Amino acid sequence: MLKRDLGGIILMFLMPVLLVILMANLQDSTLNFVKGNKIPLLLVNRDRGELGAAVVKEIESSGLFEIESDTADSYLTPTSMESRISPGDNMIGIFIPEDATKIIRGNVQKYVVSAFNGIDEVPVDNIVDITVLVDPAAKGSFHSVLMSTLRERSQKVQFEYIMREISQQVNDISPVAVNTANFSGEQFVIEDKFVTREGSNIMPNSVQHNVPAWSLFAIFFIVVSLAGNIIKEREGGSFTRLLTMPCSYAEYLISKAAVYLIVALIQFTLMLLIGVYVLPCTGLPALELGHSVIALFFVGFAVAVAAIGYGIAIGNIARTHQQASVFGAVSVVILAAVGGVWIPLFLMSPQMQLISKLSPMNWGMSGFYSLFLRDEGFLSVLPEGLALLTFGILCFTVALYTRRKKRIYS
Amino acid sequence: MSDNFAIYTEGLKKRYKGKSNPTLNGLDLRIPDGSLYGLLAPNGAGKTTTIDILCGLKRFDEGIVKIDGLGVPSKLSDIKRIIGLVPQEIALFPMLTGRENLKVIGGMYGVEGGVLNERVDELLYRFGLENSADRPITQYSGGMKRRINLLAGLLHKPKILILDEPTVGVDAQSRNLILEELAKLNKEGTTVLFISHYLEEAETICNRVGLMDGGKIVLEGNPTELAKSHPECKNLEALYFKLTGKQMRDTYE
Repeated sequence: MLKRDLGGIILMFLMPVLLVILMANLQDSTLNFVKGNKIPLLLVNRDRGELGAAVVKEIESSGLFEIESDTADSYLTPTSMESRISPGDNMIGIFIPEDATKIIRGNVQKYVVSAFNGIDEVPVDNIVDITVLVDPAAKGSFHSVLMSTLRERSQKVQFEYIMREISQQVNDISPVAVNTANFSGEQFVIEDKFVTREGSNIMPNSVQHNVPAWSLFAIFFIVVSLAGNIIKEREGGSFTRLLTMPCSYAEYLISKAAVYLIVALIQFTLMLLIGVYVLPCTGLPALELGHSVIALFFVGFAVAVAAIGYGIAIGNIARTHQQASVFGAVSVVILAAVGGVWIPLFLMSPQMQLISKLSPMNWGMSGFYSLFLRDEGFLSVLPEGLALLTFGILCFTVALYTRRKKRIYS
Repeated sequence: MSDNFAIYTEGLKKRYKGKSNPTLNGLDLRIPDGSLYGLLAPNGAGKTTTIDILCGLKRFDEGIVKIDGLGVPSKLSDIKRIIGLVPQEIALFPMLTGRENLKVIGGMYGVEGGVLNERVDELLYRFGLENSADRPITQYSGGMKRRINLLAGLLHKPKILILDEPTVGVDAQSRNLILEELAKLNKEGTTVLFISHYLEEAETICNRVGLMDGGKIVLEGNPTELAKSHPECKNLEALYFKLTGKQMRDTYE
């Protein structure tokens, strides 16, 4: 029987799949940028000492920058580097001059020796001129991070040399040897932790967001077909025949809902498989489903019940096929936009994040985030699942009430 | 007394919201058990409302409605088991074949397995559809769709069959076959309520007719006897026009 409308069946499952693949790839760079896209940085280190090495190491370990160094055949100077700093090329350039470490060391030595020998007149410094070139389009935060890194590293190197020089001077005059080699000067540890319970702090990658988001959207889009089908049956006479059969109206709706529930769950499973197996082939990370399959399908089931309940309510309230299809489609798009399907929740303003809690799709997204991002279990998604189920049952009740109000038996 | 009738209504009234005149204004419909009853009426006289109320699809404001002695709406679930409705619209699943449609609908009526298969084959044969039963409904002619539509209301062997203009838009052959089979079904014991605009059809097959106007029955009886009792009218149609007038009845109230 299914072969008779193979095109329809293929479209029903293929369109959401295409949507997931397309949107996941489209949003990949955007979400990566928001999450911390790497800034291209041109680093020229002419120093052969510890300062240069420490700065390079620190910049590399920050993970914020994509570092390009000069090569033997392109000997760069601060002036020639300027032409390489532009939005399409490198956004930041750093030039650490030759013998920077040696100069700092020499300066420190002069200061310490002068201090230990009671010389008040401090010799003139040789200044180490580290050049930082910044494209005006570069985000201020990256510039700030870079400058603080440079300052921190140069001060640390300077501090270590001061300690070393002082200990050397002290050892010259003290009978007991003083060793400051193991004194790093790092007395503070600042620990930063992400608070995982607040949904707005979660930053999913493109796959973690788009697979559940568009699965939700596809499941909710069943509303258009379901509501349209109810009205078509009502207008076409099948409904009249069905109502004269020995079953109640609730039974009729439940049997219709059961068929749509199966379709929705197949669609949901297919979308998950796309996330796990197909999206990695397009260069995106694979979707990690979390450890609880039961929790995953509980949320999927609850989303389907909510969507089907909503479709049944629209099908009973709307008077014409046009009303149902226009209202159904537009309301699903609005619920999706508000619920964080189009734009991830963490990118929304606090006010919109608050409003989004009104959308059942937000409850679904929240449940999926718990599973995919935090690897949580059944109990943690229970509130979202129950909220979705309640919404679905409420819509179903509204459908039955509407029918009763229209003064029809059964 | 009402228990002697397959369909019994007494003082049935129904007024739709926003309409000044009642659609049904004290309808007394008495259809004896085993009869083939033709309900004839101009547009807007309340035929469809009557069917909807008899089948429990609409509520009524006043009166008594009984089907085979069972009250509407209190015994509706029992009533649904003994009535078969053939709606005016082609109420079928277009993607399915004729046979599949009948099996799905039969299953919904609770007829299953071998009994259903036998019943489907029997009805397809009786209505001349056995050779086209496995083609999708979309490939059927108007007359074939009408016949399948009718068969769908017969699968559970209803005691009372209600047909809303079952011959609309069909060719002469299909119409003839439908009317012949309805007469046979009636002879086999099924009470048939036949609603039609075609007065000659009612005159031919019905053993009792009711002329409805203004939401109530204005004349009722055997078609032949009715014609005899009104010698000035050469046939049922003439009598119908005499009673209901010739002016158009479609209203936008």
